[in-house]
Amino acid sequence: MGVDRYSGLPFVARFRWNVGKTMEKFYRSFAEKKILAARCEKCGYTVVPPRQICPKCYSTISEENLVELSGKGVVESLTEVAFKLDGKGGYIWLEKPELLAAIRLEGASSTIFARVEGEAKVGSEVEPVWAEKIEGKPSDLISFKVVE
Amino acid sequence: MRRVAIIGCGQSKHGRRTDVNQAELVAEAVWAAIEDANIGPEDIEAYAVGNMQGFGGICQPDLVFADYIAAGGKAMQRVATGGTVGGSTAHLGYYEVASGMYDVVLAVSWEKHTDSAEPGATTGLLHVAFANLSYMMKIGMDMRSFAIMGLAGAAAGISAYQAAFYMARSGCRIEHFDMVAAKARRNAAKNKYAHLKWPNCTPEDIAKTEMLIWPMRFGHVCPASDGASCVIYANEDAVRRLGVKEVAWVKGVAAYADEEADQGESYQGTAVVDYSDQTGAILSAKKAYERAGIKDPRKEIDMAEIYAPFPHQELMFSERLGFFDDGTAWKAVEEGVTEIDGDFPICPSGGVNTTNAIGSSGMQRVVEAALQIMGKAEDHQVPKDVRNAVAHAWGGQVQFNTVMVLGDRPKGW
Ligand SMILES: [Zn+2]
Repeated sequence: MGVDRYSGLPFVARFRWNVGKTMEKFYRSFAEKKILAARCEKCGYTVVPPRQICPKCYSTISEENLVELSGKGVVESLTEVAFKLDGKGGYIWLEKPELLAAIRLEGASSTIFARVEGEAKVGSEVEPVWAEKIEGKPSDLISFKVVE
Repeated sequence: MRRVAIIGCGQSKHGRRTDVNQAELVAEAVWAAIEDANIGPEDIEAYAVGNMQGFGGICQPDLVFADYIAAGGKAMQRVATGGTVGGSTAHLGYYEVASGMYDVVLAVSWEKHTDSAEPGATTGLLHVAFANLSYMMKIGMDMRSFAIMGLAGAAAGISAYQAAFYMARSGCRIEHFDMVAAKARRNAAKNKYAHLKWPNCTPEDIAKTEMLIWPMRFGHVCPASDGASCVIYANEDAVRRLGVKEVAWVKGVAAYADEEADQGESYQGTAVVDYSDQTGAILSAKKAYERAGIKDPRKEIDMAEIYAPFPHQELMFSERLGFFDDGTAWKAVEEGVTEIDGDFPICPSGGVNTTNAIGSSGMQRVVEAALQIMGKAEDHQVPKDVRNAVAHAWGGQVQFNTVMVLGDRPKGW
């Protein structure tokens, strides 16, 4: 005999993470197709997504030190994925492999990770692909694509 | 074992902190402690960190915030011992310096309850409770039985049973819980970091609040706070080298577990029948006092910060820690002994009953005891001279206790 599920409990337990003021501003700015970074006043390190403490020299980065990036970037490294998860514990093999890349945005010192559309290589120039309906949420930024 | 002192203390503002994420909350306490010690992050060699397992919905938060607290390229170790975790993390930091392994160590603990989508600490508590549920799954236990076990309300559920046991054992009444809760709220009103402040709160005010689960009223229950607390330790040489003026010396620590006091979580029975026994607290206190060279705790210790989310626990633990005889603490409360200006102040900060960011709470007792010794507790500094103070934490599977004795001089001076 095995017990593999329970039901009828009088509660649910979900998380709803507070991202903090700086990250909230980062996502809200997506509504204007803007990507914000935090530039350390002391050491100049520019980190995206932005944060309140410089990861390099640990200085506090205030809101005045948020800067808007152009959104354009360069592929620093990439990998190719052949399948995706189906949400039910299985895999779906992709007809065409997808590219995931470490991208250094213009003006940033750090990299971000995102899906890339097009024939990307290390060194390729990329730009953001925004959703049709943008609402100031993480889902607004769909991917990046190679600049033709 | 080397002599170890607390050279800096830091706390974040505690309460509903939806303005910061978990890393930013932890950083707030860490940088406050570094500033308080008047040192630089380069002086810190190792980090001891800890919170409740699963509470903030991030399994290994230490991995995420290391570069918010200058821990990159340093030794870092995480502790998780349930509600005691702040106390255990404080102990780990102390061990690392006392052993001679490092000269300067930072210890920080925290909790972020507002990252729960359900009210209060529900999500966090359930993520811990589910681990226990899993155990019941293993024996195919009927889930409806779950609701009548103390486990259903996690620490709060167990505490209702514990309060009832304590009343039967000591002869104290609910009115005494009202007195303790009112004192906590009045004291918290003087503490700028506290969550639940109520200036001039009276036992009658508390008595007017609804009875939630007998014998606990709404006014007896701690809030679910967000917050972080931090201390920095240094050995004797480092205290001198860094030119630190105000310190609190760690004179003795001990931590003991009891038989799991969880109503026999699998219905298989337990050796603990009376949940107000708290043998782990008795053993911890005995050993910590022995290590600190304290023979008569009531006389030699000047105040205590006790981990008491619920008022009966302040009474119960003040007895288990040797400040009052078994079953008599409520008489001391009637006489005002434990008030901020009393002969033996308990939780002048307002304590866990008014501010409970669980992981932070155990560490906060250490911070508050150290501040009283250094005379830096500001508006809630007790008027009496504090030479020795006790910081206690309670948690684990509600059966684990930690005790730290702090003093204005190292042991044997
Ligand atoms: Zn910097």
